[in-house]
Amino acid sequence: MSFDHIMSVTIGGLTVGMIYALIALGYTMVYGVLKFINFAHGEVFTVGGYVAAFSLLAMGIDASTPWLKVAGAIALALVAAVTVPMALGFLIERIAYRPLRGRSRIIPLLSAIGVSIVLQQLIIIVFGPKPVTIPTLALSSASVNLFGVDVRVLALVIIAVSAALMVGLTYLVKSTRIGKAMRATSQDMEAAEMMGIDTNRTIAFTFLVGSALAGIGGLLVVMYYGSLKYDAGFLYGLKAFTSAVLGGIGNIPGAVVGAIVLGMTETYGVSVDLGFLAWFVLAGLALGIYVQMVRVPNRRLAHIAADRRTPEYERSIMNVYRLAPYHGIKTLLAERTDALLSVSAADAVRLMAGNIFLAVLATIMFINSSVRIDTRWQPVIAFVVLMVILMFRPSGILGEAVTEKV
Amino acid sequence: MAIRMKTSSGQDTAPTHGDTVVQRIASAVPGWVWWLAGIVIAAGFPLLNVIGVVETAWLRVGVVSLIFVLLSLGLNIVMGETGLLNLGYIAFFAFGAYTTALLSSPKFEIRWPFLAVIVVSTLVAMVAGFLISLPTLRLRGDYLAIVTLAFGEIVRLTIINLVPLTNGPNGITGIYSPRLFAGAKPALEGIEAWFIIDKPLEYYYLVLVCVVVLAVLLTNLKNSRIGRAWNALREDELAAISSGITAVRAKMLSVVLSAGIAGFAGSLFAYYSNVISPESFLFMQSVIVVCMVVLGGMGSIPGVMLGAVVLQALPQLIREAAGAARSDFEVYRMLIYGILIVVMVIFRPEGLLPDKIFKREAHEVDPRELEMTRQSLFDLEEGEKDLGV
Repeated sequence: MSFDHIMSVTIGGLTVGMIYALIALGYTMVYGVLKFINFAHGEVFTVGGYVAAFSLLAMGIDASTPWLKVAGAIALALVAAVTVPMALGFLIERIAYRPLRGRSRIIPLLSAIGVSIVLQQLIIIVFGPKPVTIPTLALSSASVNLFGVDVRVLALVIIAVSAALMVGLTYLVKSTRIGKAMRATSQDMEAAEMMGIDTNRTIAFTFLVGSALAGIGGLLVVMYYGSLKYDAGFLYGLKAFTSAVLGGIGNIPGAVVGAIVLGMTETYGVSVDLGFLAWFVLAGLALGIYVQMVRVPNRRLAHIAADRRTPEYERSIMNVYRLAPYHGIKTLLAERTDALLSVSAADAVRLMAGNIFLAVLATIMFINSSVRIDTRWQPVIAFVVLMVILMFRPSGILGEAVTEKV
Repeated sequence: MAIRMKTSSGQDTAPTHGDTVVQRIASAVPGWVWWLAGIVIAAGFPLLNVIGVVETAWLRVGVVSLIFVLLSLGLNIVMGETGLLNLGYIAFFAFGAYTTALLSSPKFEIRWPFLAVIVVSTLVAMVAGFLISLPTLRLRGDYLAIVTLAFGEIVRLTIINLVPLTNGPNGITGIYSPRLFAGAKPALEGIEAWFIIDKPLEYYYLVLVCVVVLAVLLTNLKNSRIGRAWNALREDELAAISSGITAVRAKMLSVVLSAGIAGFAGSLFAYYSNVISPESFLFMQSVIVVCMVVLGGMGSIPGVMLGAVVLQALPQLIREAAGAARSDFEVYRMLIYGILIVVMVIFRPEGLLPDKIFKREAHEVDPRELEMTRQSLFDLEEGEKDLGV
């Protein structure tokens, strides 16, 4: 396991993660404001990529084109890759989502899945079922030497552009008037309207921003990989949503953190030996044991009312966590029990199950330390991450930013 | 605000009156007549083939349509009754089909009796449904949609990649025909052939019997305590929980039951088609089943059966008639299905043959949500006019 290899894998993971982040931001913003999953977002990303690719092809650039013309062509492609998805996002919201606002929860979800199918088939009809491929440019094959490792310039461009966009978005949401309106709308639509905010316009704006980011993501993916398939949006969308959940849905910095973690996990998962990955699992296990033994029990103890704070009671709560296999299960099975104790017991057994899972996983990985996961299993990694995060920390790494109004 | 109110209340009242002549006649006929007519038509259809009016190809379309009726009845439990979206439903179908293929094919030289295979296939799909619902059902309903979506894709990829077990993209071939009462020694020489199901006509009646039995069972279940708990959860989860319904348990039951039905249908599908490959379990197939339920009417058992027959048989017949190229046809078919879902949920969310409770609920704008979508606070006069105050 050489330093060069680790370095290039890290840069690769960061690049993929940044692209996921661009798409994930659209999911998380819409979820934050409307509390629903915009299934069509992945397809908006694909449309962005296709529009960019076809405008590059239409301008007839190839490896021999002078760089100034290439830069101009990319700028034009960028304009196309931003405007078309924006228009699309705006139309989707207006036609398929707005009439359904306030209806039974399953109905807008169904509409979203219908729109996603329509878009995917339209891409096939308009652009054809074959993947679109752009000619190799000098830019796409160029690389620089970074700490003794050859790194593609485009990877650095993607990381820089995405980082800049995220800083811009954070500024937009935190410090501008419309950003304030977005936050207010996501917190309480009714109250926002009472303050004179046009929530319909704010929601439309949210869709515009999300779609523009997805379109830029599409352009970057086409430039980086050189081709894009009509159903690419499906997996990218799924992974971006996983990133959003991983970081905490509705949470903008969370989406970025989640995307980077997912991109790294995916890339490391298939490009280094299991023996190396096992150390990460072991680190996760250490964190898990700390959470089970120290963090969660201390939080629980803080809930105990002053008059019940006897040392024996505190000890029994601690025992449930520290000796979860014995006390936890015993408490769960006991017929009548204290409410806090039984909640803690369920919690402890769940945490313990997670830790045992990690321990078993690490052992298996150390035993097969020279094995490497095949690349074709890569999509499965994102799914496993999604399931594990939903099982053990559904609010995500940085916590949810969704206010539930009952 | 005013416009929104007008449209929503207009939609709310218009269909319930039964204004048209057709609706008035239809409501005068008792329900059991429709059921009987449906069964007679379904049971009589193969006779047209026997007397030579329709080709056997149409009978094959009939068998596949009936299998999709089973699937949409199963999905209706989750989508229609409980109000959760399952976008990877075809994965449970795949579980059933592959279990059957492994237990009754030359792949491992195993030939279990038909009844055992079908029970095991159902159970395997149910276990998969249980595992998938374990982490998701405690969370908001939307998570189930995305997790099942991912799950469907992962199952398909696993089938493709797990070559030693599934033969990968080539699929499993030569699945044995089902033998009823296998193992029992035939009293007479040659009578065993009677118990082997291998012709489209025999499959048709086998699946039809399953459909009728399942429809009756599900209608009873719908009107039982469990069915009402599901509907209550769909309408208002908070109120349902306050009334003493254990939400997670009821939802889990609905996910597991619907997965089991998909596994059952998958088993029949594997037996019928002899060959199964990952191609039959694409994400689009899940969408097609969703579309069937939406078109027919979420929560309505006769509705989803109609939706399945219309959406499965009609395109096949059109394709037979037009002789269109397969890939082109599929693209336009899916485009139309996608448009159909959007148009249906916007204009007629209750479907073609609506379920009474769901119909009211689908048009109802939640008062809490309505407050949230109010456009202007100051046109009180217009608002009052519309409310009839």
